[in-house]
Amino acid sequence: MARASRTPALPMGRRRFFLRIAPASILLLSQLAGLAFVAVAQERRYTVAFANLTEEPGKTLEGTGFTGREVRESFVLAARRYPIDLVFYDNQREPAKALANAEDAVGRKVNLYIQYFDDAATNVKVGQRLRAAGIGVFAINTPVPEAPLYTIDNRAAGRIAGEALSEYGAKNWRGQPTIGVVIGNLRAQEYRVPDRAQGATEGLKRHLPAIKIVALETQGNPAQVGPLLAKVLASHPATKVLVAAMDDTSALAAKGALESAGRLSDGAIVGQGVDRSVHGGMNDKKEIDPSNRGSIVVGSVAFYLDRYGYEVLPLAMRMLRGETVAPRTVTPHRLITAANVFIEYPPYDMN
Amino acid sequence: MRRKSLFVIVTMLAVLIASVPAALAQTDCKTVVPPSPWGPNDQTGATNRVTPAVTKAAAAEIRDGKVVVMSYPLTDGIPLFGTRFTKTILTATTLAPGGALGENQLTYMEDTWLSQSHVGTHLDGLGHIGRKDCYFNQTPMGKFITQNNMTKLGLENLKSFATRGVLVDMVKVYQAANKFKGNSACKRPCLEKGTVITKADLEAGLKMYNVTLREGDILIIHTGWGNLFEQYPAQNATYNSGEPGIGKEAANWLVTQKIVAVGTDNWGVEVIPGEDPKEAFIVHNILLTDAGIHIIENVRTDLMAAEADQTKRSTFFFSMTVPKAVGLTGNFVAIEGIR
Repeated sequence: MARASRTPALPMGRRRFFLRIAPASILLLSQLAGLAFVAVAQERRYTVAFANLTEEPGKTLEGTGFTGREVRESFVLAARRYPIDLVFYDNQREPAKALANAEDAVGRKVNLYIQYFDDAATNVKVGQRLRAAGIGVFAINTPVPEAPLYTIDNRAAGRIAGEALSEYGAKNWRGQPTIGVVIGNLRAQEYRVPDRAQGATEGLKRHLPAIKIVALETQGNPAQVGPLLAKVLASHPATKVLVAAMDDTSALAAKGALESAGRLSDGAIVGQGVDRSVHGGMNDKKEIDPSNRGSIVVGSVAFYLDRYGYEVLPLAMRMLRGETVAPRTVTPHRLITAANVFIEYPPYDMN
Repeated sequence: MRRKSLFVIVTMLAVLIASVPAALAQTDCKTVVPPSPWGPNDQTGATNRVTPAVTKAAAAEIRDGKVVVMSYPLTDGIPLFGTRFTKTILTATTLAPGGALGENQLTYMEDTWLSQSHVGTHLDGLGHIGRKDCYFNQTPMGKFITQNNMTKLGLENLKSFATRGVLVDMVKVYQAANKFKGNSACKRPCLEKGTVITKADLEAGLKMYNVTLREGDILIIHTGWGNLFEQYPAQNATYNSGEPGIGKEAANWLVTQKIVAVGTDNWGVEVIPGEDPKEAFIVHNILLTDAGIHIIENVRTDLMAAEADQTKRSTFFFSMTVPKAVGLTGNFVAIEGIR
């Protein structure tokens, strides 16, 4: 009975044949298994599309001095760390272009689409189209429904500047008449500058709760900073002035205005952005520099648009690997001063 | 008995307090920089590896006596950063009418050469790069600098560089791997700035000529970027704007290979912009500060790369002169590869 239950014995010739090919088969199978293991071990490459807000030369973003080219470049550099092939699009600040870019990405079957566009209604359509095609979406600064968002926090940035000025005034000018000035493109809703101004106002009151604050609207024209501030200085003689500038260009213009009025010793200024106009290198000296610690431009709040790639691509990689990503990640705004500018932005114009 | 105990406690406290400043300085650098494998008094670093046996073995690379130039001309107008400068001034007063000396009408000339030391083809010494004030072999450099120079880790402490040179041609490696991205300003193929040369790239470059690194070697990396140096002053700004170079992984791997120096045809050996925007010249720290491995910058590599391509041999006798410049952090050098 037991014998009957066995598999029938192979004829001698076939048996020899199988015995001969068995070692080769085992070897082949083990090699195939090895190849499969290597394939798994070598992480697959992903195609990621980045649709930039605009790359028009000279056009600055988010009410800072950064350009679209700098944002794009940060993605190129950051991608070196990851198994990512980038596809770049320029949304040109036009809804039709933004939609066309998304459509093209669907055709290319990208694995993830990073959308940087400041029109919420268009972003809804872009999100719907990409999701319908099974493509994940990540948003920068303006939400795309159901997509993780990386965003500036204008109010927090403004508050950091205001608090730094408030602390400066309380520490250096205690008991002296002091006013606060919030200056810049204050009504620029598209850049959320009103939030920035509100944060600055809140911050200025942190250590000087009774401080009078004057809002000066430049309508985005830095040339207006001088005349506007000059009037305030003229009407407030023998008064210290804490200037919360909404961007770095306005901060530098404010310094010029104080200098022209012979009032440098009456002012302290904090800007917003930390673009290349205020920080340089070992040889390329700018306003915020370790060798310029006495400047009345106390510092500027970093927006890091030149590091978006380094901030966003790690999150993108998590999405691609199927890991959980927080629905909202905020830029780690920080006050950059002469004391930390070379730590935060190490120069490389030396060897 | 109580008085004796009190005396012991007071004495111990006094010793402890007295030793605090020195202990703090030492402890700081011991936590910041690893010790030299050649002992606590070592100021020589990786050239300790150039033993007579290493030099003798390297001499076997000299087969037909062909000498290949591996340094760029040292002259005004080469790429420099910002306010750095070089200025040569010729003194030739005896050439003026009536200036010749003696009946034999002897005339002479000499030069004044004003320059920083890290200019042209040059060697980074052990005192060039640190972390905070801690330099190679846990040296608290703040204690060893004067207004004029360093009193520790100067070039005078280095041994010979008479060893084997090994060239890896990254242009060929990247072309072979179909991942080459060039820069249009280069007249010959060059890797684009920001290209991170990895350990795998270096291994591929060694494999291309069937070479393995051995202790005491000097690795020379051809990126092609040096072609911009050759075009001075036209492409100085492009040359300085960044560079292809080794990344952290490759640098750490080179440390394990126990080499003496790494040289490249760019201004900083390492990739610029770096892999992490918040790190400054991190490969310099890995090689120089932590491992005492020298960095040689602005090395002319194209001629040796062509030689290797033609002969299918990428090794050579590395001949380099480093002046015994007391207390200097680096100096320009002349390099020849002898085959």
